[in-house]
Amino acid sequence: MAGIFVFSEDGALAKQLLTPALELKQQLSQPVTAVTSSEADAKELAAFGADKVLVLQAASGWTEGLSEAIYGLVSGGGASIFLVGGTLRGKHVAAYLAAKLNVGMSTDAKSVKIEGGKLLSTRLLYAGLALCDEELALPAVVTMPPRTFLPPSPAAKAGTVETVKAESDGRIAISDVTAHGGTGVDIAGVTKLVAVGRGFRKQEDLKLAEDLAGALQAEIACSRPVAEDEHWLPIERYVGISGHIVKPELYLAVGISGQVQHMVGARESKVIVAVNNDEHAPIFEGADYGIVGDLYEVLPLLTAAVGKNGGR
Amino acid sequence: MPKCLVCYKWTLDEKDIKIKPGDLSLDTSRAKGKISDFDRNAIEEATLIQEQHGGAVHALTYGTSAVKQSLKDVLSRGPETVYWIVDNSAETADACVTANVLAAAIRKLGPYDLIICGEGSSDLFNQQTAARLGALLGLPCVTYVEKLSVDGDTVKATRKLADCTEVATVKGPVVVSVLGTINKPRIPSLKQVLGAAKKPNKEIKIADLGLNAEALQSKAVHKSVKGFVAKRKNIVYKEPNAAANVGKLTSSLAAEGVR
Repeated sequence: MAGIFVFSEDGALAKQLLTPALELKQQLSQPVTAVTSSEADAKELAAFGADKVLVLQAASGWTEGLSEAIYGLVSGGGASIFLVGGTLRGKHVAAYLAAKLNVGMSTDAKSVKIEGGKLLSTRLLYAGLALCDEELALPAVVTMPPRTFLPPSPAAKAGTVETVKAESDGRIAISDVTAHGGTGVDIAGVTKLVAVGRGFRKQEDLKLAEDLAGALQAEIACSRPVAEDEHWLPIERYVGISGHIVKPELYLAVGISGQVQHMVGARESKVIVAVNNDEHAPIFEGADYGIVGDLYEVLPLLTAAVGKNGGR
Repeated sequence: MPKCLVCYKWTLDEKDIKIKPGDLSLDTSRAKGKISDFDRNAIEEATLIQEQHGGAVHALTYGTSAVKQSLKDVLSRGPETVYWIVDNSAETADACVTANVLAAAIRKLGPYDLIICGEGSSDLFNQQTAARLGALLGLPCVTYVEKLSVDGDTVKATRKLADCTEVATVKGPVVVSVLGTINKPRIPSLKQVLGAAKKPNKEIKIADLGLNAEALQSKAVHKSVKGFVAKRKNIVYKEPNAAANVGKLTSSLAAEGVR
């Protein structure tokens, strides 16, 4: 089966991937085929630009277990580009496909285009220290993180939907699927964040940040140690290279030193503000505005000042 | 008793890499090598399994001649033998080449009950090796594991994903990739460091792996690598009077339209 393929188990992400897929379609003059295991997603994908949607019908809903079945759809050759949603499940499927096809794969690409008959992607190296242009001969596999693109506009003409039977990997049994408690807030989708770090001496003190967040109508986020070492906040609120990449209008970092692993997650924000008692903390290099001072003194003042004007 | 293999990568320590101000190229001249962060978790996990269940832990690496610096380090962390493959192809190897080489070596050295990798390497963070090895070796693969237990030939692995955890149960042999949160790698004791010198390290010649030139040819090529430089306003209020600083900041936020 020839052409550009799109896959994500996350329906919203699959739809976002149609945007780069349709650009590649222009460049390569090849059809876009979306692969999904959800009938509901299939309708959406067909309506938003996929020329064809293949719905995998499998006994098990475990995404990674469908890797071989997805490979089976294209093993005959002809597939030029596989765009896979860059969730952890997606990256597993993508790497499996790349190995079976014996092709290159670009992980967490920020952009893709065709140049000289090859795929050119941009991605990060060294935990965000550097940006790299990666060139892949076709066929190639690319994963792209959630929210890299907005979904395209609805297509003039809906694509076709076809159901195919799929075998899932019976060697692995999945049980005890447990959602990460938390509040279900998706910090990657909000417009203002107050992010807390190790500068807070104890968990109760986060109240100061919550008050500020309340006044700003912001959500609370945090650095890795606050979630993974101290367990003060759920990991769904952690910003960084292996946590969330966020792009709010305002990112206000309090008591965060600003190591590159953290800043990678925050540096796409529109305005970055830092409050830190260490004038030499790297966070100030990555911030638009900063206050050098004791957060225990600064935050109540800031909350009062913002509150007076009612936030926005 | 499980026979475990840990795959690890010897990488540059990114903390020592500087960005050259002019062309934004990377200055790695002062960067020392290290065992890639999450690979240290993989080594620790294999060693913990061996301490609990017996069996054996071998380590395997592929790299440039710099990997020789890693041998004592890795052996001091638990494995009883390290196999190393040195080839110039490693200089620019993508995940495809790396997986081809490791898979060929595992076919030669194995079988192993458990093959453990880190989630991704500290330098490229491609997050591909485990899933690729599973595909190439025809073995089941469980990625992003934060808890691992072995009971006879059954492996139970708790995976941590963005929105949930789940338990994968599988009969070995199996390939697993572990997260940095799975354990805290030990700091080798003096005795372990001295003991490492007595453990065997064995070179595998790449020519003996039966790989053709195409298998060693990277499919993903780095055309340009440039340091990321933040372009921010860097306006810092640092008067002794906190209230004055807060006043200036709120004005700035209002001017930006984000208050």
